[in-house]
Amino acid sequence: MTTAYDAIIIGAGHNGLVTAAYLARAGRRVLVLERRYRVGGAAVSEEIFPGFTFSVFSYVVSLLRPEIIRDLDLPRHGLEILPLESTVTPMENGDYLAGWGDPDKTRREIYRHSPRDAEAMIEFGRLMHHMAQAVKPIISMVPPDPTSLSPKDLLGLLRLGKRFRDLGPEKFHALYKLMTMSSADYLDEWYETDVLKATKSASGIIGTFLGPRSPGTAYVLLHHYMGEIDGSFRAWGFAKGGTGAISESIAGAARRFGAEIRTDAPVSKVLMKRGRALGVVLENGDELRARTVVSSLDPRQTFLSLVGDEALPDEFTADIKRYKFRGSSGKVNLALGELPNFTCLPGVGPHLRGAISISPSIAYLERAYDDAKYGAFSREPYMDVIIPSMIDPHMAPPGKHVMSIFVQYAPYHLNGGWTDERREAFGDTVIETLTRYAPNLKGAILHRQVITPADIEQITGLTEGNIFQGELALHQLFFLRPAPRWAKYRTPIRRLYQCGSGTHPGGGIMGASGRLAAFQILADGA
Amino acid sequence: MTHDLIIIGGGVNGLVTAAYLAKAGLKVLVLEARDTPGGLASSEEFAPGFRCDVAGHDAGWLLPGIATDLGLAAHGLELVVPDATVWSPQPDGRALTLWTDPVKTAGEIGRFSPEDAHAWPAFTAQVARFASILEAVYAVTPPNIPDASGGDLMTLLGLGRRVRGLGRREMTEFLRVPPMSVAEWLDDWFAADALKGAVGAGGITRMLQGPRSGGTAFVLLHHQVGRPAGAVRAAHLVKGGVGNLGRALVAAAKGFGAEIRTTAPVREIVVRDGRVLGVALETGEHLAVPQVVSSIDPRRTLCGLVDASHLDPEFLRAVRNIRYRGAAATVHLALGELPRFTARAADGALRGAITIAPSLDYLERAYDDAKYGAVSRYPYLEARIPTLLDPGLAPAGKHIMTVQVQYAPYHLKASWDAPTRDRVADLVITTLSEYAPKFKASVLHRRVVTPRDLETRFGLTEGHPYHGEMALDQIFFMRPVAGWARYKTPVTGLYLCGSGTHPGGGLAGASGRNAAREIVKERRR
Repeated sequence: MTTAYDAIIIGAGHNGLVTAAYLARAGRRVLVLERRYRVGGAAVSEEIFPGFTFSVFSYVVSLLRPEIIRDLDLPRHGLEILPLESTVTPMENGDYLAGWGDPDKTRREIYRHSPRDAEAMIEFGRLMHHMAQAVKPIISMVPPDPTSLSPKDLLGLLRLGKRFRDLGPEKFHALYKLMTMSSADYLDEWYETDVLKATKSASGIIGTFLGPRSPGTAYVLLHHYMGEIDGSFRAWGFAKGGTGAISESIAGAARRFGAEIRTDAPVSKVLMKRGRALGVVLENGDELRARTVVSSLDPRQTFLSLVGDEALPDEFTADIKRYKFRGSSGKVNLALGELPNFTCLPGVGPHLRGAISISPSIAYLERAYDDAKYGAFSREPYMDVIIPSMIDPHMAPPGKHVMSIFVQYAPYHLNGGWTDERREAFGDTVIETLTRYAPNLKGAILHRQVITPADIEQITGLTEGNIFQGELALHQLFFLRPAPRWAKYRTPIRRLYQCGSGTHPGGGIMGASGRLAAFQILADGA
Repeated sequence: MTHDLIIIGGGVNGLVTAAYLAKAGLKVLVLEARDTPGGLASSEEFAPGFRCDVAGHDAGWLLPGIATDLGLAAHGLELVVPDATVWSPQPDGRALTLWTDPVKTAGEIGRFSPEDAHAWPAFTAQVARFASILEAVYAVTPPNIPDASGGDLMTLLGLGRRVRGLGRREMTEFLRVPPMSVAEWLDDWFAADALKGAVGAGGITRMLQGPRSGGTAFVLLHHQVGRPAGAVRAAHLVKGGVGNLGRALVAAAKGFGAEIRTTAPVREIVVRDGRVLGVALETGEHLAVPQVVSSIDPRRTLCGLVDASHLDPEFLRAVRNIRYRGAAATVHLALGELPRFTARAADGALRGAITIAPSLDYLERAYDDAKYGAVSRYPYLEARIPTLLDPGLAPAGKHIMTVQVQYAPYHLKASWDAPTRDRVADLVITTLSEYAPKFKASVLHRRVVTPRDLETRFGLTEGHPYHGEMALDQIFFMRPVAGWARYKTPVTGLYLCGSGTHPGGGLAGASGRNAAREIVKERRR
């Protein structure tokens, strides 16, 4: 049998597609195999209820690397990012905290809560901005292995060292604190308004199984300042047509460069001989050969299911087995007959075009975490709510709306396991909690879709429903992601590469893992 | 000027610094606010005939060099490491004993989980390897990071070489483990709740964090430094009570010529044009001296004793942001008889820390209460019966028990009033009674030392005996604050030498020794 492809990519999530596009752009013959009926992985838009389209899983975008947008010419393939201009946090006392697109307006709003915090915000923003600038190159770098003595790794380490040196002591120390502190403690050093600290901390806990008081949650604060949609309090965007439009545009670019994409083509095994990948076996038994195989699935799927531990070194298998997923978030998608009416800001206003954050206090978030620690979903969960139909009217029939609710914590390892009954109970909890802030919500619901971490795993294949293909904790980042010595997209199987969020830098719709993997593959001449 | 140098505070680190500097030929005066020197290394009679170590019995690791350099053995210091490190009774009536000998311990663990028993020797070996690296780190003055140069670079390279000496696999582990939570780390190794609770308790020592919080794996390792290899959670007890450590240090310092004045609380460190001129005592007395070394905590030194006008606001802000958050109280009990535990205790097992920490979840729930400003309803307890080692600390046939209670947070939602303090003692007695049903009847006297008491009586900010939490952002080149980890302060002639500096709390005199070395080096320049 001849080798038909230079590269087969397993999984058409955004990272798999990015890798495919870059390899195809470099002239490689590329085949992408997707298990589901459509591309996108966890970045899909689907019409779940007639006329109502949802970004079923991932729902906002801020970190998609601008160089990818540029290199792949994504706007030409239909990508249009609409800004999410505000974040409003309803408070338990009926007031609210808002962050607006206009920094001056935000400052006035924060001043209303605390003049001191309004002042601190300027300096805080400046410092964060500088640090985000410093961290960006690290995100775009193949992590050097500090245990290696190879000239390349040593050079990488020196470059990293120089970068830290160039930061200067003040910013380096601030960065070090961000990497090691809890978001609550870090923000305590700057701000006094609880609701402000809670809303900022909320981003630090997304996708992790940690509370805002646990060290290791602060550095995600930086992500706010790394978004390329510059200048706003919270630089998140929403893709026109839903998150699926991002995947579609990358798929479009890949196809234009000549990549072939097959859906409904689940892979069951990586075909190997003497420690070298030769291709893949599909679930229907078909064998497809390629010079190189690239998996965009998470490390557990890739190595324990598609490769199998008998082909892997024991130490590596042990590392993959201890790599932590612990999905902690769920999603509730609602079709609404009317807009929610928030008690703190009644009526239709600009706040409905942005995010509504249910994070009234640090203690609230922390209590939400407490429930999850012992295997229950939060009785009063943290929620990040957006109404995509307010930004892109095509998402719902005229006069009607869709609402996307990101919910945490919903532990994958629920006591007694997830059942249909518990899923609905979880959905009820979410709606009841949100209805406290928008009393008409419950009555406005036409349809609802409740997604638990178990559902995320079942539908998208993400192990334990972890949206980042593995927790973004300090001990699972950079040269440790997904396993020591195998953080450079290569694997112990020759000609088998990994390109998913389970590799550096991982997490969110960023595409950086897919891009760096493609570069590594090209550099290896594979 | 009659002295070269004044040391504020006659606790362990102050006395170690004093002894080293006096030994180097300097004329040293130590000023101690209380009527006896020793700080937390002091024992007192809390009920007629019953003597206790105020803040606990584990002296922490005393760098062997300090004992030899200062001749502490000659001054009566004798350290004892009990064979049993932990004795942990379980709700099901069993008990887990950890011994200094890993093989013996593995035998005990085997009754809970054969797999865990099998993993134990490898785990303790890894712990010992990491602790020996930290030991090397703790002996140096922190380099300036990120702009290390010259000698700093050599220090870093030297430490780097040691880390590399671990081999690639273990080197990666050394970089991976410290930021983890102790729960995650132990979950990687073990299955038995009893074992994970008993070991994991070491990760939350004096922390207002739970075992699931990041960085608690480091805390466990920190407290392993200098302990016997193969042992986990071993303690260094001072024969005759921890007060003997204080007395030996006083004798050593005086022997080298240092002068110690007690009942001499300092009101102000007098500074002019960014330079130390001397100190003013509460009595109004002025002592002129060109160099002052403070062994009291950084916040009290820099925000309390130095006028704010002499310090950069950014620096002051960093000092104010140091997290203290005292998390534990101590309850001293005078007992008419030894507690009779339901669970069987092997010979000598009760000389270890009697630990109530049956699982990581138990510890985490204890933390949950503290997080919201309450004393744990089901606290983590660590009790010692020092009279098993030193019968003389209590009247014949009677005993004392010292119990660390965590969490009893300094920042309590209610106030630390008399009823609250009483409830802490009751809580300890009720909790222990679940494992020793007749315990209550054996209690003759009790005394509660809260974090508030540590603050009022010993001047410890927020009642934190380590002068600041041992969190990853408050250690090494970040301790006490970033950019000032080399025992110097922005005021010329003012140094720090207490636990608030590298390497920090739970290590007897390591900060003081490092500080003394820097001060001597500086004077030679």
